[in-house]
Amino acid sequence: MPENDTHRHVPVRIDIEELGKSYGNFAALENVSLTVKPGELLALLGPSGSGKTTLLRAIAGLTATEEGTIRFDGEDATMLSLRERRVGFVFQQYALFRHMTVFDNVAFGLRVRPRNERPRAGEISRRVKRLLELVQLGGLEKRFPSQISGGQRQRVALARALAIEPQVLLLDEPFGALDAKVRKELRSWLRELHTETGLTTIFVTHDQEEALELADRVVIMRAGRVEQVGTPSEIYDEPATPFVSEFLGGVARFEVTAREGEADVLGGTFPLVGADPDYSGPALAYVRAHEIEIISRERAEGVPAVIRMVRPFGPTVTLELSIEGRQDRIEAEVPRELYNGGELRVGEGVFIRATAARIFRGS
Amino acid sequence: MSYDPLAMDATRIPSRPSPAPRPFFRTPISESVPVKIVLITLGVAFLGAMIFLPLAAVFFEAFRRGAEPFFAALVEPDALASIRLTLFVAAISVPANLVFGLVASWAIAKFEFKGKSFLITLIDLPFSVSPVISGLVYILLFGSYGFIGPWLISHGYQIVFAVPGIVLATIFVTFPFVARQLIPLMEQQGKVDEEAALSLGATGLQTFFRVTLPNIKWALLYGVLLCNARAMGEFGAVSVVSGHIRGKTNTMPLHVEILYNEYNFVAAFAVASLLAFLALFTLVLKSLLEWRYSGEIAATGRSH
Repeated sequence: MPENDTHRHVPVRIDIEELGKSYGNFAALENVSLTVKPGELLALLGPSGSGKTTLLRAIAGLTATEEGTIRFDGEDATMLSLRERRVGFVFQQYALFRHMTVFDNVAFGLRVRPRNERPRAGEISRRVKRLLELVQLGGLEKRFPSQISGGQRQRVALARALAIEPQVLLLDEPFGALDAKVRKELRSWLRELHTETGLTTIFVTHDQEEALELADRVVIMRAGRVEQVGTPSEIYDEPATPFVSEFLGGVARFEVTAREGEADVLGGTFPLVGADPDYSGPALAYVRAHEIEIISRERAEGVPAVIRMVRPFGPTVTLELSIEGRQDRIEAEVPRELYNGGELRVGEGVFIRATAARIFRGS
Repeated sequence: MSYDPLAMDATRIPSRPSPAPRPFFRTPISESVPVKIVLITLGVAFLGAMIFLPLAAVFFEAFRRGAEPFFAALVEPDALASIRLTLFVAAISVPANLVFGLVASWAIAKFEFKGKSFLITLIDLPFSVSPVISGLVYILLFGSYGFIGPWLISHGYQIVFAVPGIVLATIFVTFPFVARQLIPLMEQQGKVDEEAALSLGATGLQTFFRVTLPNIKWALLYGVLLCNARAMGEFGAVSVVSGHIRGKTNTMPLHVEILYNEYNFVAAFAVASLLAFLALFTLVLKSLLEWRYSGEIAATGRSH
């Protein structure tokens, strides 16, 4: 039994190979392969029904899969039971035992051990107290789950999962049930906790901002498949597919025509994503709000647009613009100075241009 | 927070520097005073005539000749035998249904399988079938002209017109009580607590005793209580299979009937009052439990 409770084991690598799982005709997971590096904080990101929670539950051993293998440090864990895998799992609604105090909840995993592996009562008490301090809940031992806040419950669930000295830590929508403010606080706290424990950690989220801000690497899932894997900056700067572009949000989509590997969009010309230099035909272009610049009001360069709404809060000013031949409005983020100059008013006409765009073949 | 117009009113009125309240305003769901009076009177009269009066009559009749004949009727050997038999039957059928009900609810609430809705319907069957039919089924099965009755009788096992038949019929009739109480609660609680316990390394048994059982204990107790009340009070099914042998196969309800048919009203009502007292006691316990258990649900429901 290791002396220190934040138990710095050597972190575990997880290899997932060609994992498949279906519910009747519905493929929840299809040919999913993925390597989670030791000690990594990995986010599974995707819309609901994309298979991210199924994948997490499959890694934990909560859900059986039909195809493929899961290895922990090279050892096949596919057929191991939930108990044998020794994963710390934090459930979406925390699943705290409501008839037990915070202390008893955290101690549960230690108390149910076989007699010869079970620490003595004093040792259990010492460890639980240290874990509760680690999650900043010292002093709440005697409370029941119903008597603490959502954020505190979340941290009790984390302490409880950490108490069994897990090989990996898995969190299902860890911030899903919390309000926006608590969510932000817990985010950076979880990041610190991860640094402290050094555990290989995987969490599921449908919030792209959360995933990009928190994780070392992000896995974007769609319809049971892995759509893209990368660091947050890779994902943000180089979305690999139209789906990823749209899922990250904040983009305007244009149906354009490519000529020999290039396409025009909003007054600029940009190359296609991927090595496809000679492609001509229909293509999709995505432009982010901050990639649209206002050129001027007079010079007839770029594309004419009309300002329909101004949202002047935050570090930049967001404009809603309408352009000819397009039903919905597009958004542009412009520097504050431009707005403070008094030049941007609703109803006014301007000329705009895209400074960057990602263009994919297809329609 | 849900908006509750009544609560709002209640908090606002005293703080107002009270200009005379508008006399004709009524909240939309309240009735005028005459309608209130009529409705309440009707309700109370009905309750009194249909529920309270009969109950009072039982005790009144039991004590009509004073306390002495009352107690004499209770300690009379046949009466004592019926009380013993009733307790004996309950002592077997209630634990049996506790186990069956628990197992059935566990299976239904925590697992998906083919024929689940059929199983739920089966559990409800004793509620929908007349108790007399339930009794007759056992005669058909175990009687001397029944399916397996002759074989059992030839091997020396008498089921119907004996205690085993009474126990079987009682188990059948009271089967749904525990399960019906548990299934909705267990379905609502889902299986995530169990998953959490298992992921923390608990064995199946540890999970059951440390997590599942504490989560349902109040509902379970409540179900057992109702089951017990019915087990002691069952008449129809038991009457069919009992054979009415005094001092041997007469339960309390059957004993009451025999005494009544013999115009022994004081004794009949004395034993009946014992059953009525049991019913009242059960109701009080049930209310206590409900109060306790609703508090628990409110405090620990998965609200977020």
